[in-house]
Amino acid sequence: MSAERPIGVLIGALGGQGGGVLADWLTEAARISGFPAQSTSTPGVAQRTGATSYYFELFPEKNPTQPPLFALFPAADDVDLMAALEPTEAGRALDRGYVTKRTTVITATERLYSTAEKVAAGDGTIATGPVLDALQAASQKLMALPMRALSDGAANQANAILLGAIAASGILPIPADDFRAAITGKGVAVAPNLAGFEIGIGATGGEEAPDDGKTYSPAPDGFDADLAAWDEALRPLIGHCLARLTDYQDANYARLFLTRMQTISGTELREETASRLAAWMSFEDVIRVAQLKTRPGRLARIRSEIGIDADAPLKLQDFFKPGHEEITGFLPPWLAAMIPGAKSKRRAGEGLTLRWPTGNAFGYAALKFLGALKFLRPGGNQYANEQRAIEQWLGAVTKAADIDTSLAVQTARLAIWARGYGDVRSAGLKSLADLFINWDQQLQVDLAGLKVSVDQSLLLAHANPDAPAH
Amino acid sequence: MDGANVPVGLIHRPGERSFTEEVKKLQLGDGEVFHGEAILAVTKALLQAGVSYVGGYPGAPMSHLIDVLADASEEILEPLGIQFEQSASEAGAAALLSASIHYPLRGAVTWKSVVGTNVASDAIANLASTGVTGGALMIIGEDYGEGSSIMQERTHSFAMKSSLPLIDPRYDMTKLVELTEQAFEMSEASHLPVFMTLRIRACHMTGSFIAKDNKVPEFNLNNPVPEAAYDVTKIVLPPASYNHEQDKFAERLPAVQRFIREHGINEIFAGDGGRYGIITQGGAHGMVARSLRQLGAADGYGNSDVPMLVLNVIHPLVPEEIAEFMSDKDSVLVVEEGNPNLIETQIAQIAHNNRINCRVRGKDVLPMAGEYVTDVVRAGLADYLAADGPGQLRAAAEANEAAIMRARDTARACLSDALPEPMPPRPPSFCTGCPERPVFAALKLLMAERGPMHLSMDIGCNLFGALAPFHVGNTVLGYGLSLASGGAVGPILDQPIVAVMGDGGFWHNGLTTGAINAQWNKYDAVLIILDNGYASATGQHKLPSTGMTPKGLASKISIESSLKGLGVDWIERVDSYNLPETIGALRKALDARGPRLRVILSNNECMLAVQRRERTIKAKALQAGSTVTNEKFGVDAEVCTGDHSCMRLSGCPSLSLSPSPDPLKETPIAHVEDTCVACGHCGEVVHAAGLCPSFYRAEGVRNPGFGRRLASSINQGLLNMLGAS
Repeated sequence: MSAERPIGVLIGALGGQGGGVLADWLTEAARISGFPAQSTSTPGVAQRTGATSYYFELFPEKNPTQPPLFALFPAADDVDLMAALEPTEAGRALDRGYVTKRTTVITATERLYSTAEKVAAGDGTIATGPVLDALQAASQKLMALPMRALSDGAANQANAILLGAIAASGILPIPADDFRAAITGKGVAVAPNLAGFEIGIGATGGEEAPDDGKTYSPAPDGFDADLAAWDEALRPLIGHCLARLTDYQDANYARLFLTRMQTISGTELREETASRLAAWMSFEDVIRVAQLKTRPGRLARIRSEIGIDADAPLKLQDFFKPGHEEITGFLPPWLAAMIPGAKSKRRAGEGLTLRWPTGNAFGYAALKFLGALKFLRPGGNQYANEQRAIEQWLGAVTKAADIDTSLAVQTARLAIWARGYGDVRSAGLKSLADLFINWDQQLQVDLAGLKVSVDQSLLLAHANPDAPAH
Repeated sequence: MDGANVPVGLIHRPGERSFTEEVKKLQLGDGEVFHGEAILAVTKALLQAGVSYVGGYPGAPMSHLIDVLADASEEILEPLGIQFEQSASEAGAAALLSASIHYPLRGAVTWKSVVGTNVASDAIANLASTGVTGGALMIIGEDYGEGSSIMQERTHSFAMKSSLPLIDPRYDMTKLVELTEQAFEMSEASHLPVFMTLRIRACHMTGSFIAKDNKVPEFNLNNPVPEAAYDVTKIVLPPASYNHEQDKFAERLPAVQRFIREHGINEIFAGDGGRYGIITQGGAHGMVARSLRQLGAADGYGNSDVPMLVLNVIHPLVPEEIAEFMSDKDSVLVVEEGNPNLIETQIAQIAHNNRINCRVRGKDVLPMAGEYVTDVVRAGLADYLAADGPGQLRAAAEANEAAIMRARDTARACLSDALPEPMPPRPPSFCTGCPERPVFAALKLLMAERGPMHLSMDIGCNLFGALAPFHVGNTVLGYGLSLASGGAVGPILDQPIVAVMGDGGFWHNGLTTGAINAQWNKYDAVLIILDNGYASATGQHKLPSTGMTPKGLASKISIESSLKGLGVDWIERVDSYNLPETIGALRKALDARGPRLRVILSNNECMLAVQRRERTIKAKALQAGSTVTNEKFGVDAEVCTGDHSCMRLSGCPSLSLSPSPDPLKETPIAHVEDTCVACGHCGEVVHAAGLCPSFYRAEGVRNPGFGRRLASSINQGLLNMLGAS
């Protein structure tokens, strides 16, 4: 019996990513170069964004004496190459047993998040790093390709880049020119795909994805002495917080942040508290939103997003849906109470909606004016409510810190509830307020129970609130 | 407005794909080499066999056959005089085969099984009773296992109860084409219509074979049958029907068995002639052969020492053939996917009847249910060979399987060590810009406001509403059956019957079994019809309300007029992307309690179809230097607080996450990908639910005219003065 076996190539992708075209290129290249081959797929409704896979086999002998036997399914420890257009799809292949020490893995590194990851209220995303680490450890060789970096932003050629990398891997005995001929013959976006193919051939897998790490703004002038009083490790964060709050309101407001931080001790607790305190203190009221929406450079950024130059007409609509508490937020409490509509429950699909023409000079000017009203903020209704809630939270943190540091850290993290707008924000603040009822007393009599409640509240804050019960 | 805004003049003729290349392959002549997908090869085999008519109802994985023939109307069907239609349902397709009862016409029909076979069962059973004169072939896509979107059943039982030959071919392109042609001969030899089953992966398998010329059928549209035939014995009434039943077992099935023997349809591989062996259905042969290679018992060509009988016809079995194969064996392993294990039990019966002392094994080492992928078959084979194989093979099978499992488990451990959670599930979902999505956002919002309500769902894309993020939809019973399936639910829950149905479902069964029944029985019901212009889940197949037939003939039946014809007077058509309008109409319909059917037509063309058309038009306009607008939604990173409420109401693939550039934010923020088609649903959702001010819609104009450019530069000057830059 002959020792030759077909070379198995498994392609993992999401519907619409071009996995089918990639499989077609492989099939056509094999035909051109004269190697017997077979491909198959399970598209079906998986074309509609679901996970999908293609399986290709090539017999590494031209004109064999009898037809080789190809399989329709990949099998455990029988896949020579696993090519994925998304890293968790490579992870899925590993989980299903199709990646072993026999397998070379070539995968795009950019995540395309699943619905399950997106619907979590906190961070439900799966990190790419550990998936790649696992693939590296499990496979014969891993080639991780940052497609965006490689293609200079044109990520739609990812399948062609992948084809290039497959050609360069040498796992298939097909010469590069036959792949090029397959791309040309297929006739779909030939020029960009050929360009992508060349990028893939030249890729080493050692390319770095652009760093999307967070950058800290420097502290505004006049805070040097204050900053010096902080641990060196915390200074960039504190400086960033001061910059944020000065931009948000003024230097005095930034000093209020420092005063509040004085009540917090211990590096870990300070770090956990500082970022959340500054984020909360810069709560997004209508004035803040107007300020952010009229930031210099915003219109230019949007122009580049849709690929038009500086003098091409741009029509911009900002979707605003201010509720009663937001519209009246910067009025003094007594005046806010006089505006009708405070108590009526808003029904879905009803109420005031605006599509604000921020790209128009007049629309922009009006918004700019609103953003300049920040001097009204401290006298306003919403400010008073938010500061009260902040003080209550900070009080809970400091009191917890006297008794149990880990509880204090968890309590600091509870500030995640102060998020969103309108009903989302009210509901979050209410969850928090409910937890702080009888806080002091519970700290004394039922510390264990309180810790459980805080942990549960945090879990809830990060989970998908709409998940079905089962 | 009437219909899903489908501009008839602009409808892309072939649905999701263009088939010019495929049509050329169907024209290949004697000796030329065909390269392509198996389903196309089967289509070519039909032409080579000289069919007079072809029909079908689309559904994965069979759609391709219908699409290609629809597109090949002028080039292929007309010269050969072949009749072709995309039928209204599988029942309609099966009923076409009536033409082969009296007349010597070869005909083929196709659909997705087992669902389509269920729908077609009335016609099939009657046809099986009458019997045929011309060869009648039903090509069915056996959608069992991975990638399937239907309940899991096999068609085998159906073939048995109606005494229909069932071909389950070994997946080799040449064999497949040969068997397709032989199916007609078998049908004519036995007077029975024939089933041929193809699994999903087999339909999409690529390969090649040597083509033959297409055959002009003796009788065709250019050369009609001279006169109508009458024969009372072909009418399914007593006493003819009693005779039909006798005839099936006295004449027809024995004729099939003779045909199988004479033409060597089932294949015997003697192997080492040992006292063990495998009997496999043809469709599982590839998995068996690959498993044997992995276990060290076959080479890359499939040559093996293991004796094997490959059943390319799994009903009827040929007892003599099986008895011969078993006669010198101590045991055989039957590889038969799914349950009941009809082949295995029949073979055991054959051994018993023939007093052959051979142990029949099967489901004792192979799983009771589920798809027989290679890994599953190999594990069972390893167990079998380790127990019943010859000495050397026993050890090899055991050792090789253990080594494979070790390699797999070692690799998988790397993943579980690195990550606590499994890879994210990725079920199919509504596409970017899908006009069906907003209905489910509206229903989710309404249920949050009014409490849960039972929603009867239908077959088609709409069913994705029952998945994340909407979790809206409680039951699904079949195509076009949502309204009927709510009949006993609404009243007992003291709510209106609420049903969602696509336009595909409406025309398939929803009009008769759903709307007519509801109207007649005075249902207190709300029917939401998602009128997007096509049967979209299968790849944008034309419907009676699309505006043209698959062959491109202008023809349109209005959903609205049909309902009005029944006397339904509460019909509201809403723009599906307008969420307040949709929510308002739903509120009104739900609150109008009483013995009356209320219908909401949620209306907009399938976005895949729109995009396919618009992209081409835009690209051409850009090239020509004409004015073109580009729209996209976006999220301001600084404004988004990262609570993802929008995700839980949108579910759009283009609305995704991005790490927050702000060190103060601990969760990723919303981000609109470049794939956005500006349907506006995310904006509508944040408005309807009062979420946040993060979203914006940007529309850029390329190649603007002089006036717009001037207005823009004045505006830009003012913006610069305001510091917008």
